[in-house]
Amino acid sequence: MDPQLQPLMDVLQQVKGYIYPNEIELQWGLLVVVYPYVTGLVAGAFILASLERVFNVREVQPTYRLSLLTALAFLIVAPLPLLAHLGHPGRAFEIFLTPNLNSAMAMFGFIYAWYLMVVLLLEIWFDYRKDLIQWAAGETGLRRFLHRALTLGATDLSERSLSFDRGAGKLITLIGIPSAFLLHGYVGFIFGSVKANPWWSSVLIPIVFLFSAIVSGIALILLLFLFSSLVRGKDVDMACADKLASFLLYALIVDFSLEMLDFIHRLYEAEESIKILSQMISSRLFLSLVVLQVLVGTVLPMLSLFLVSPAFRSRGLLAAPAELRRLVYFSAAVLIQIGIFSTRWNVVIGGQLFSKSLRGLTVYKMELLGIEGFFMSALLLLLPFLILYLLVVLLPPWPDREARVADG
Amino acid sequence: MRQQISRLSIVFGVLLLALVLARHFLIPKSFGKIGHYRAAAVDAIAARKIKYAGHQACASCHEEIVKLHDDRRHRNVACEVCHGPAAAHVEAPTEIRLPAPKQRGYCPLCHGYDPSRPTGFPQIDPVSHNPLKPCITCHNPHAPETPHTPEECSACHGEIARTKAVSHHALLPCTGCHETQKQHKITPQLSRPSKPASRAFCGQCHGVDASSPKEIPRVDLATHGERYVCWQCHYPHFPELK
Ligand code: HEC
Ligand code: HEC
Ligand code: HEC
Ligand code: HEC
Ligand code: HEC
Ligand code: HEC
Ligand code: HEC
Ligand code: HEC
Repeated sequence: MDPQLQPLMDVLQQVKGYIYPNEIELQWGLLVVVYPYVTGLVAGAFILASLERVFNVREVQPTYRLSLLTALAFLIVAPLPLLAHLGHPGRAFEIFLTPNLNSAMAMFGFIYAWYLMVVLLLEIWFDYRKDLIQWAAGETGLRRFLHRALTLGATDLSERSLSFDRGAGKLITLIGIPSAFLLHGYVGFIFGSVKANPWWSSVLIPIVFLFSAIVSGIALILLLFLFSSLVRGKDVDMACADKLASFLLYALIVDFSLEMLDFIHRLYEAEESIKILSQMISSRLFLSLVVLQVLVGTVLPMLSLFLVSPAFRSRGLLAAPAELRRLVYFSAAVLIQIGIFSTRWNVVIGGQLFSKSLRGLTVYKMELLGIEGFFMSALLLLLPFLILYLLVVLLPPWPDREARVADG
Repeated sequence: MRQQISRLSIVFGVLLLALVLARHFLIPKSFGKIGHYRAAAVDAIAARKIKYAGHQACASCHEEIVKLHDDRRHRNVACEVCHGPAAAHVEAPTEIRLPAPKQRGYCPLCHGYDPSRPTGFPQIDPVSHNPLKPCITCHNPHAPETPHTPEECSACHGEIARTKAVSHHALLPCTGCHETQKQHKITPQLSRPSKPASRAFCGQCHGVDASSPKEIPRVDLATHGERYVCWQCHYPHFPELK
């Protein structure tokens, strides 16, 4: 046989039931899974930062700047999976030059630009301005140059000027929260509005996406917080870790309830797609949905956080020592990342596994090499951490000076 | 004005200027004249070399074939589907020669058995249908005909026949339920076989008081799915108990 046809034949042998010819191969692969996962982390990290700012949650203050830098690092990477998936990265800027108001996908370019330029960068700038000036004063060489350049020459350190910084930062945060909702709500909107696809088409999808974004963002910050304390040889601030874990638990409960609501709603509606969808869940998606997303990624972390975190009382149900709590938080956060990644996988890949004839299932064959392959996705998931490292070197987010806590 | 504001204004001003300049220099002049695209693209596409000549172009030189073809069942299959783009051939018939699909592999692209094709579309199993010989030894590609009228309904209703063959109705002949005129096998669209129309039809064999063989399962027509015709619940070519 023609060797070029071999991959197709491999797939065809796993196709079950009746399926239209154009549905055999999935058009949206791993990269499109990575994309909502990454934007979710951005929105989640930012919303956590906003919590501290708007609602004045003192305990999580040590993570405020870390959250902002994390959001920035991931935001920079967020469009890359799409560019790699579409090819022609050289044409991407055209959506800004000739905006098409009828296309939700094109409008996303503007949401992205707004969020990057007006929300994140500005908030970081106002927050760091004072430190930039002070750092630059005591440094030499490249660091001094960079820090000075970043102040944009606004070197006024008078009390009026600093209080303007704080006011501006607060205002931006207020604008930022709806913007972060928009950023990730949009991603859910894109899927939810595909009315021909019963797996996606649901008004709940944007909301479910949002809450899972918050969950994944908080879990990521919790991980980074524990990890950075370890690397810097500092004692973990347990008040902060406990508070983060409590937020994580609340968000997880809301997220899980919404997902269950969606699930029960579908079951009760029992539209004509229900048969093929339940077949898909019990065969193709069993591992990624039932095992990874629900059991390992949600129920297990939820139970363990419920037991040890002081979310509902001054201490957890089990009085666990700090050492053990850290361990539980760390593993719960890792499991949650796996779970949320599976959620994205199940939405994106799941939505393409069944035929629109509702009578057959296909399979997804992941490439390893190649621009849409496994390694590309792995690279895009590691890249934000590299960027974050550089940002942290340039703009240390550690709240080691008591002054900040006092004037918060 | 606050120092911060003035500095940021400069940054955003520069960005805005860059956007305006980029829009000025990078947007093609004809963008948006007709719709949300470059109007000049239409001319660019129109200027591309034409590859297909169209069906009528052939008639001036291959009159007989066109006439024959247009009269037979391949009338809706254009010449260039089988012979490839022919604009160059029309310009220089003797220099540019067109290929013709003489091998066995080609015709099954349309005629190979595939359940998604519509009922009655002529389909064969390329492996078992008169193997080894090219299709055109028996079928004229311009006037496709079957050398003799098909005997079995399965020649055209492959899927139904195959399904029925493994069902509880395997032993019932098609014509027991569909009265079929001979003409149906020659011009199927013009002579339609009958289809069972009432519950009583199935009742001939399945009714409680039917005089059919005893091993046939019985139902009481008065109470069994009384508001529907039987084939709304049982697929007649593969009745199962759902
Ligand atoms: C201007 C007259 C002319 C037109 C128009 C024309 N043909 Fe031909 N065609 C010829 C001639 C002459 C030959 C014989 C060439 C030879 O044998 O050298 C030929 C040969 C062929 C052959 C046989 C080639 C072979 O190698 O045996 C095919 C197939 C064919 N034409 C298809 C078409 C189709 C399809 C069209 C319409 C799109 C078409 N022709 C339009 C003049 C024409
Ligand atoms: C279903 C595919 C098919 C279509 C449609 C078709 N042809 Fe052919 N044609 C063939 C094949 C196969 C041959 C080779 C026949 C042979 O060698 O015996 C052929 C041969 C020819 C020849 C060579 C002369 C001959 O009779 O051997 C000409 C000319 C030709 N076709 C013109 C046309 C024209 C004009 C049309 C459109 C009106 C047309 N064909 C439509 C498949 C097709
Ligand atoms: C592009 C698709 C296509 C290709 C390629 C094609 N056919 Fe057909 N064929 C058709 C269509 C359409 C019909 C008419 C079906 C109908 O009338 O319902 C048909 C009808 C037929 C019939 C039935 C005639 C009858 O009286 O029952 C035969 C036999 C046939 N083709 C043979 C061939 C052969 C041999 C070839 C290869 C040279 C071929 N076909 C290539 C589309 C195709
Ligand atoms: C040896 C002669 C022969 C060869 C070679 C042959 N056929 Fe046939 N074909 C027949 C006969 C005879 C019938 C009549 C139906 C039957 O009894 O099977 C027929 C029937 C058909 C039919 C069904 C006609 C209808 O109205 O539904 C199609 C389609 C067809 N052939 C296509 C092909 C194709 C495609 C090839 C090449 C892969 C091919 N045939 C090769 C002799 C042949
Ligand atoms: C030459 C190919 C051919 C053969 C042989 C053939 N049919 Fe058909 N049959 C068709 C086609 C084509 C249609 C679809 C007609 C239409 O939809 O206009 C059809 C339609 C039918 C229908 C549906 C009619 C309707 O109104 O929906 C029945 C029932 C049927 N065939 C039964 C049979 C039976 C029984 C036999 C064998 C005795 C048979 N056919 C043999 C080609 C064939
Ligand atoms: C037990 C009786 C029975 C037998 C035997 C039977 N049919 Fe039918 N067939 C029906 C009934 C009843 C319908 C109408 C179904 C409907 O209207 O939805 C039908 C519909 C059809 C149709 C049109 C609808 C469709 O599915 O495309 C075709 C074609 C057909 N039959 C072909 C056949 C052929 C060919 C055979 C033999 C292989 C056969 N039938 C044997 C009862 C029968
Ligand atoms: C000519 C007699 C006859 C007619 C008419 C007939 N059937 Fe049957 N039917 C049978 C026979 C024979 C069996 C097989 C009994 C056995 O399995 O031993 C059967 C079996 C069945 C079964 C049971 C299948 C099972 O899984 O046991 C159903 C349901 C059925 N037929 C539905 C229908 C419907 C609906 C119609 C009308 C479209 C119909 N039959 C017309 C003879 C007939
Ligand atoms: C509303 C749906 C429905 C309709 C309409 C219907 N059936 Fe059934 N039929 C069923 C179901 C469900 C079963 C299997 C459960 C049972 O035994 O009651 C069945 C069972 C059967 C059986 C097997 C009984 C046995 O004892 O094995 C036969 C024969 C049968 N039906 C024939 C018919 C016939 C003939 C008609 C039309 C007069 C018909 N059915 C209409 C739903 C339906």
